[in-house]
Amino acid sequence: MSDLPPKSSIRRWFLTTNHKDIGILYLVTALFFLVFGGLLAMLFRVELLTPAADFLGESGYNQAVSTHGLLMVFWFISPFAFGFANYIVPLQIGADDLAFPRLNALSYWLYLFSGILFGISFFQGVTFPGGWTMYAPLNTPAYMPGEALGATSVVLAMIMFVAAVTLGSVNFLTTMYRMRAEGLRMRDIPMFSLSINLTVWMMLFAFAALLAALIILSSDHIIGTNYFTYQIDGDTFATNVNNPGSSMLWAHLFWFFGHPEVYIVFFPALGVMAECFQTFTGRRLVGRKWFIISMVLVALQSFIVWMHHMFLTGINLEIKTLFMATTIGISLPFDLMVFSLIYTMIKGRVRYMTPFLFSLGALLLFILGGITGVFLGAVVLDYQFRGTYWVVAHFHYVMVAGATALFGGLYYWYPKMTGKMYNEFLGKVHFAVYFIGFNLLYFPMFIAWETPRRVFNYPVELTVWHNLSTVGAIILGGSFLIMFYNLFVSYFRGAEVGDQPWEFATSAEWAVASPPPLENFDGVPSYASGTLEFLSPSDVAKRQSGHSGAAADGGTAETSPATDGAGAEAGALATTETALATGAGTAEPTGHEHASHASFWPFMISLGGFLLFLGLSGIRTGSMLYTSLALVGGILGFGSLVGMAQEPFFAPETAIAERWPFADVEKMKLGMWTFLASDIVLFGAFIGSYAFIRFAYGWEAWHHDLIPEAHVTFPGLVNTYLLLTSSFAVVLAMVAAEKESRAGVMASLGATFALGVGFLINKGIEWQHLFHIHTEAFPEGWAITTNLASSTFYLTTGLHAAHVIIGLIIAGYMFFRSWNGAYLGDEKPIEYFGLYWHLVDIVWLFLFPLFYIL
Amino acid sequence: MLRHTVIQNVPIAHAGGVRTPAAVFNEIFTVFLGLGTLVGIVVCAYTVYNAYAYRDTGEESKADADRPELGELPTGGGGGKKLFLSFGISAIIVLSLIVWTYSTLLYIETGPDSQQVQENALEINVEGYQFGWQFEYPNGQTTSGTLRVPQNEMVMLNVTSRDVFHNFGSPELRFKTDAIPGQSTKTWFVGQQAGTYEAKCYELCGTGHSYMNATVEVMPRDDYQQWYNGSESE
Ligand code: HEM
Ligand SMILES: [Cu+2]
Ligand SMILES: [Cu+2]
Repeated sequence: MSDLPPKSSIRRWFLTTNHKDIGILYLVTALFFLVFGGLLAMLFRVELLTPAADFLGESGYNQAVSTHGLLMVFWFISPFAFGFANYIVPLQIGADDLAFPRLNALSYWLYLFSGILFGISFFQGVTFPGGWTMYAPLNTPAYMPGEALGATSVVLAMIMFVAAVTLGSVNFLTTMYRMRAEGLRMRDIPMFSLSINLTVWMMLFAFAALLAALIILSSDHIIGTNYFTYQIDGDTFATNVNNPGSSMLWAHLFWFFGHPEVYIVFFPALGVMAECFQTFTGRRLVGRKWFIISMVLVALQSFIVWMHHMFLTGINLEIKTLFMATTIGISLPFDLMVFSLIYTMIKGRVRYMTPFLFSLGALLLFILGGITGVFLGAVVLDYQFRGTYWVVAHFHYVMVAGATALFGGLYYWYPKMTGKMYNEFLGKVHFAVYFIGFNLLYFPMFIAWETPRRVFNYPVELTVWHNLSTVGAIILGGSFLIMFYNLFVSYFRGAEVGDQPWEFATSAEWAVASPPPLENFDGVPSYASGTLEFLSPSDVAKRQSGHSGAAADGGTAETSPATDGAGAEAGALATTETALATGAGTAEPTGHEHASHASFWPFMISLGGFLLFLGLSGIRTGSMLYTSLALVGGILGFGSLVGMAQEPFFAPETAIAERWPFADVEKMKLGMWTFLASDIVLFGAFIGSYAFIRFAYGWEAWHHDLIPEAHVTFPGLVNTYLLLTSSFAVVLAMVAAEKESRAGVMASLGATFALGVGFLINKGIEWQHLFHIHTEAFPEGWAITTNLASSTFYLTTGLHAAHVIIGLIIAGYMFFRSWNGAYLGDEKPIEYFGLYWHLVDIVWLFLFPLFYIL
Repeated sequence: MLRHTVIQNVPIAHAGGVRTPAAVFNEIFTVFLGLGTLVGIVVCAYTVYNAYAYRDTGEESKADADRPELGELPTGGGGGKKLFLSFGISAIIVLSLIVWTYSTLLYIETGPDSQQVQENALEINVEGYQFGWQFEYPNGQTTSGTLRVPQNEMVMLNVTSRDVFHNFGSPELRFKTDAIPGQSTKTWFVGQQAGTYEAKCYELCGTGHSYMNATVEVMPRDDYQQWYNGSESE
């Protein structure tokens, strides 16, 4: 642990794990990607001045459109919202930081480096040209110009981004369920925090599905599996059959993620709107309870509407009807939310400050976006709108409406973050120009809706509308110059503000200084009395000894000693797909008085990951440069992970907090649970993918055509036995730790480790054998690239093996620590590891029958 | 499943009277557009009106007694009845629109009611490729770039792709369906006016996507017959 330098020092920004610093980093970085994505949009809007590819060229146009979409959806809008979430959520719920501050820093650095990797893709020949929806098989190298290394980088960058998101989701969920101020029930947390809570729930599952899709896609790119390939070099995979499942598999995986993603993008904006409406009208949100219920419904239902993006793929009428119904159903809660916002103004004292103008503007835009969405929900209309500018206009009206609200949020919290007030006049000018530019840009798209998406040679008679759009784009883009100027100059010259610059604001971030001190609150925030108070240490002590206040929704303010979970933010972490937080690391003895706020490892891990991925993007060319980058990155990343696990880091849990419904699940365990929940979705998506393409190919024919005789059950059976035994050994280790038997702990952990290694060796032998068989059907062995069955077999069980390897690294590390007498009487870290290991075990129980027996 | 005899020998099943997908679309779109515009204007106007009507004039008002305060726990906020009323109205509008369109969805899915028209539909296989369209007729002949169909005859398209995901659609005739490698999808239309129509690709499929157009030639029956028979012997 190092000390945190002052804000003026550059070093601080590399070291910090403080949520407010990281919030600022997110905001600045996200705005950078807004400009990046925005400039790309300018480029293709200029291209669209005339209906021909006379500016960017054909390939350039496709690249610009695709990367614009990816950058805006992934690298701008959500991270922008998470900038606020980082800064504001802990303040709003009364926490002094996130539950796992170093993981939070790691999320940020992974995000930043993923964006840099994306940027590099532009210099690797051609970047990804296949649209932000990345439909298969156009997303595979076979259909890309050149070596397609740039496209591979983009896919890898997205994986890195998803790792960041997953860590962030785990972190926010743990924080919100374990660190709320006393007396603050889940339903009482301010609307912005609530929207973030629901957003991260959706993220946890939706992004896991995307991760599966991306891992598979990158493996198609890098090691040559064939999930998304339709044919191999124009040849079929076996007699007369191609891979008929390729396109649809991608579509399902992508949209299963993609629809929740649109709410993931929009929810934080709704939260900001709710906050700003309340503050600037001086009214409490009308029907708050129903508003919340609506949001919960939408969050749940968002996972069962994805096929409305696939109405033309030939799915049958029953399914279409079902998805039409769910789609329309999900639009109804939004009606309620819209009306709730509108009615909140009634009897208000509406003040047209910039944040309110942006929120009101966002609401108006969203109403239009929602109405045009209902058009799309009517399947007969959707048939014609599909693939046209109607869709483009619709989703910009909703998504960019979301962004509009978030810009409102930027003005709203700017004084809190900087302690200075922005210039109100310039803010209003920004809004006016923005709003005009927005509508001039997107409204003509409805009129020119007959234009197919992603083409540059639209019908000539629509030229005028497209030109209006381009003018609008320039105005919209230009409006940001006003904003950047305003925010920059105000930082130095703006009027100083006090704690609460906005009359009628209620949430706790306005009860602390602007900007808030490093650890947020003097005293422990509590709502036990019905309003916010800050308790002195003696109050806290009194409360801890007495019985704790109960909350009506069955939640109890659980008390726990301040040293609880000391240093528990130990973490072995995240490489590509497994962002693994485990208590296996340092449960550092307590004794630190102060919470830690600085660590260099998150940066180093991400740098390592970045180099590794950059190397991987080109490793298939066999180039020395790429190979060594991958090696260096891998070593650096791994070393830094170990470094982070070794580093003493103290992240105390608040002494008294509202922890319903997870009062009995300590921080590390809750983090582990949420992480494993996303891991289950990941494996679920892998298994689903296998079943899907096998079914499309022909379930029986698959076995007959694609799998060699030599692929027998026996090695799998042995491995099942090995894994089950090893899970049992972990349980023994826990028991031994409880009984404080060092020998017992060492023996059991050693056994776990040995059995795991046995599993891998057995698998290695099996694979070697299969790689090198010579039969009539498989003269060149049954390698990863041979056919569909081999691809699914090696990749799915390989992903599982990677989980085993990570588990073994942790088990090995723990073995050494137990040598030194760790864990005696403190079996918690073993328990966390056990949770992970049992899951890996259970997954195998699914894989074994699927890949060896059926 | 090639039916070589199609045009020549079967009695003519005139599809000139059927409701074409284009007609269906235009009707529904018009209603949606009318209602959507109306609802949009009303709701937006009401929103702006409220923002204006309750602007802060600096004057005291009765409601000032009950303004939110810093540090309070959220409470309901009231107004539930009004909220549910407007929610109910919007829900009714949306739901009735959708229920109404559902019968037309069934129509589009199953095709014209006339058994005869359906049975005599001309089935054409469409295959997309980077970057063009190939059409295969019941007699086995193929054309590229131009789809020729007889006037007032139901045309059933079986659409697939030989490489990547495309989408075959025509803005005027209002048929559209995905062209997916390894899968086949169906769509149908009737050309009631002879003439030349456009068909386009509606799914990004590579550098030539923007150019991936085809023409649909709707020909008077006799002309069509002649072309069709003539081409068979080629
Ligand atoms: C009123 C509720 C809504 C309904 C009924 C609705 C309906 C639809 C439908 C049916 C599609 C598929 C169109 C097609 O490709 O054929 C679609 C596309 C889309 N919607 Fe919505 N939508 C709604 C709200 C939203 C919101 C709130 C967002 C985001 C904040 C959003 C973002 C998108 C995006 C990004 C696409 C296009 C994806 C693509 O193809 O690239 N929608 N919407
Ligand atoms: Cu959707
Ligand atoms: Cu195309």
